[in-house]
Amino acid sequence: MTEIPKIVRQRLQANTKLADHPEPNLLNAFVEQSLAERERVQILQHLSQCVNCREIVALSIAEPDVAEVVSLARAHAGWLSWPTVRWVAAAACIVVIGAIVAIHQTHDSGQHSAIRVSMSTHAIVDNAAPSQSPNLNPAPVQAAERRTSRKTSGNQKVTDAAPFEIADARTASPFSEVVPGRAKDSGPQGAEQAIGGPTTNDNGMNAESGTFFPDDLATESLAPRWTLSWDGVLQRSVDSGRTWQTVPVASHLILRALAANGLDIWVGGKAGALFHSSDAGQHWTQMLPIANGQPFVGDIVGVEFNDGLHGKLTSSNREIWITSDAGQTWQKQ
Amino acid sequence: MPRDASQSVGEASARLDSLLSEIYVKSKGEVCGLSRAQFDSILAEIARKYLPADTTQSEICDFYGTLRVEELALARACAIGNEHAWEVFLTRYREKLYEIAGYITKESSTARELADSIYADLYGTRTRDGQRASKLASYTGRGSLEGWLRTVMAQEHVNRYRRQRRLVSLDEEAEEGAQFATTEPEPAIVADPRVETAVDEVLAALAPEDRFVLASYFLDERTLADIARTLGVHESTISRKLDKLAKSLRKQILASLGRRGMSRRQAQEALEVDVRDLRVNIRSRLAQETGGRAFTKKKAETPAGDGS
Repeated sequence: MTEIPKIVRQRLQANTKLADHPEPNLLNAFVEQSLAERERVQILQHLSQCVNCREIVALSIAEPDVAEVVSLARAHAGWLSWPTVRWVAAAACIVVIGAIVAIHQTHDSGQHSAIRVSMSTHAIVDNAAPSQSPNLNPAPVQAAERRTSRKTSGNQKVTDAAPFEIADARTASPFSEVVPGRAKDSGPQGAEQAIGGPTTNDNGMNAESGTFFPDDLATESLAPRWTLSWDGVLQRSVDSGRTWQTVPVASHLILRALAANGLDIWVGGKAGALFHSSDAGQHWTQMLPIANGQPFVGDIVGVEFNDGLHGKLTSSNREIWITSDAGQTWQKQ
Repeated sequence: MPRDASQSVGEASARLDSLLSEIYVKSKGEVCGLSRAQFDSILAEIARKYLPADTTQSEICDFYGTLRVEELALARACAIGNEHAWEVFLTRYREKLYEIAGYITKESSTARELADSIYADLYGTRTRDGQRASKLASYTGRGSLEGWLRTVMAQEHVNRYRRQRRLVSLDEEAEEGAQFATTEPEPAIVADPRVETAVDEVLAALAPEDRFVLASYFLDERTLADIARTLGVHESTISRKLDKLAKSLRKQILASLGRRGMSRRQAQEALEVDVRDLRVNIRSRLAQETGGRAFTKKKAETPAGDGS
């Protein structure tokens, strides 16, 4: 790195500004790149002369893994970043084309088996009426228990009646709405379009592929972003935060914590509610952490999963629970 | 007022009113216990704060569209003491407060103290004119509520650090090897004032972003990655910018010194001289005693803006 003359360094220090510090709202908006250009220039002008405010800004920037979950309003794009954007766009196109080709080949050879798998999944969600479109009903509670019971080991207990009804992310349910204020399109149709909207027939099957798995979700090459609204609703963006869709997890559920690691999503909320999806929110399994015979009590306010196996829960009463086997067993710290 | 003008004003007002209704619904203010009138008043206060008086209604509408209205409703409902809003806020953000404090302070007991202190300010344990004064009343929705909490905590941490530095004892300083100099005599050699003038002129002409990058890298010793993350660009962009700036600065300063009557050789020598050899009376020129990074050297305590 080319050095600057010492006199330049000294004069940079000398010309400092000690008044008219920007307030936290503006500094934060600067960090999140949501200021208008005029304001941004004013903030930069002050920051260039104020070591205090530069320090505050440096401390305000979230760690990179946290910043991915919080949506940024705008990325500052100078002409110098165009080469990077160009190569990333080219790489993304190649990946998408390759994935589409692979899916078509898989579809031709595995169409019947996909239908069999999806029909059985459909039956689990709505075992009362397997020929009808999946909808919210008490049957999925039993399904959750059944799916949970398959994973149950000595440390995990299945309750008789979970208070939640697990929604099927594939249906156009009342939950499938585009978050107002963020997306340009709205309504269930808009939501489907935003996620690459499959057309479904009356049985809820994808009209094109004959499966219950939307093609766009199966072939999605760009990792979705996740967030929780302030009222505890899970939201997903597949276009780098430009639009957001509500992802149904279960009814009567207020979520407070979220961890996303590829297709693995963990959400936690009030009264120890913990749900896991291994397919980017298409299906959910309720997890019931138990340690030494005691169930998890309190609200889940923190969820961390650095990989598919190792995770940590934090409760509102400051308990820490850890797992090293993707939630099969838990230990209380 | 001509009919066309009054018609367009009427249309603009109708659009604004329709937008305010829409925003109120999106904010879920009713769930938080905020009435439509209260929320409209909050929005108007925010518009007055950030927009010039001659802003058109269309521009105001666009501005409102950039605000985080759900988080704004939650924060303002907490500020007036709504129980449900507090429950939501605590469940969502209390743990985050400790995490943020830990990231900022890098030490658990200091982090806890900082988080508890901020929580007290947010809850409003102090009163002003007999009314509870919650810091959440100053959140304006320009950025995310979580990001605002980070900035508030960072600001408090920076101000605390500066206050504590003022109280470091002289004995401790002496043990650390600090020298307490007597009054300096008048310098025997005075540097060519044209050098400083030329440098000041070139620095003043820099774009704010360029100057910010220079100060962050050379004064604060931030990494390229940190600076890039602040500006939302790639690290290599900052690296190229710094190289280009450093070379361009030298060229411009030499040109400026040339315009001031120095020969090329004199100008180059002037730039090569260590500033410590110049014996310029720096104290009379500096507004404050500055050093490198804020947390590594003593500085005159000047609290950053308090956000009010």
